[in-house]
Amino acid sequence: MAIKVQLDRLLVERRMSLTELADRVGVTVANLSILKTGKARAVRFTTLYALCRELDCQPGDLLSYEPGPPEPDLDDEEA
Amino acid sequence: MTADRPTTERKSPARTVPLLPKMPRIGVKAPFRTLGPGSVSSLLKIALDVAYVLLMIITAVLLLLLLTSVFIPIANLNITVSNDEGGRQQPLTRPLLLFGVGALTAYFGGFLMILRNLRLIFRTLTIGDPFQPGNVRRLRQVGLILAVVTGGVWVAQGVVAARLAPGVMEPQGFGELLTPIFSVLVVFVLAEVFREGARLRRESELTI
Repeated sequence: MAIKVQLDRLLVERRMSLTELADRVGVTVANLSILKTGKARAVRFTTLYALCRELDCQPGDLLSYEPGPPEPDLDDEEA
Repeated sequence: MTADRPTTERKSPARTVPLLPKMPRIGVKAPFRTLGPGSVSSLLKIALDVAYVLLMIITAVLLLLLLTSVFIPIANLNITVSNDEGGRQQPLTRPLLLFGVGALTAYFGGFLMILRNLRLIFRTLTIGDPFQPGNVRRLRQVGLILAVVTGGVWVAQGVVAARLAPGVMEPQGFGELLTPIFSVLVVFVLAEVFREGARLRRESELTI
């Protein structure tokens, strides 16, 4: 995936667990895991806002762009 | 000036009052419920179940008939077939009987498969998750079976009219194919709509 979510690094730096962050942000651990592993298709601004608020960072600290092959289309996954 | 002041003073405290909880909407309701007991979907489910059972019985009887028609001594029975106007008569031969019963079995079997798919689609609707890739596949199958069955009937009638029993049955014209083609197109369009719905559902699932 071309967009990486730097949640692991930020969690280590803040010495925070995924469960704690999920509680603070108001998102399930399962959904946060989807975000962490790069399987998410989109992030709501409200979620991004809550993540930045709890991790005390900027959206740019959370997301980074890496050149690579485009992500597979959802249709291809279905087939 | 003095008259305006009390008005603004009255307005400002109102802004701090928390919003009242939403009241239930009172308005014109749909004439039928979509889900639950006594709804359109429950009536449809009953209709699908009844039609499925009926088609199963008919297909089973036809299969039995197909098997027995292999062993019936047709030559001894001296049965003849003719068209509705009672014109030309032709003896019922074994190939003609096998072809006729086989075609009928395939016809009803095809519709049985369509109903099976429709029931499976309906099951996903009752659990509230109809937009899934499985339903796209099922709808495409329904379209395909519908095309094969209706096209098969058209071809079979042509074969009977031209080869097996000329003069007994009239071949269908191309005009007869218009409605089936239209139905098949509608089903394939619906399948594409479901495919897009399934994609959107998957995308919304992966939106955090």
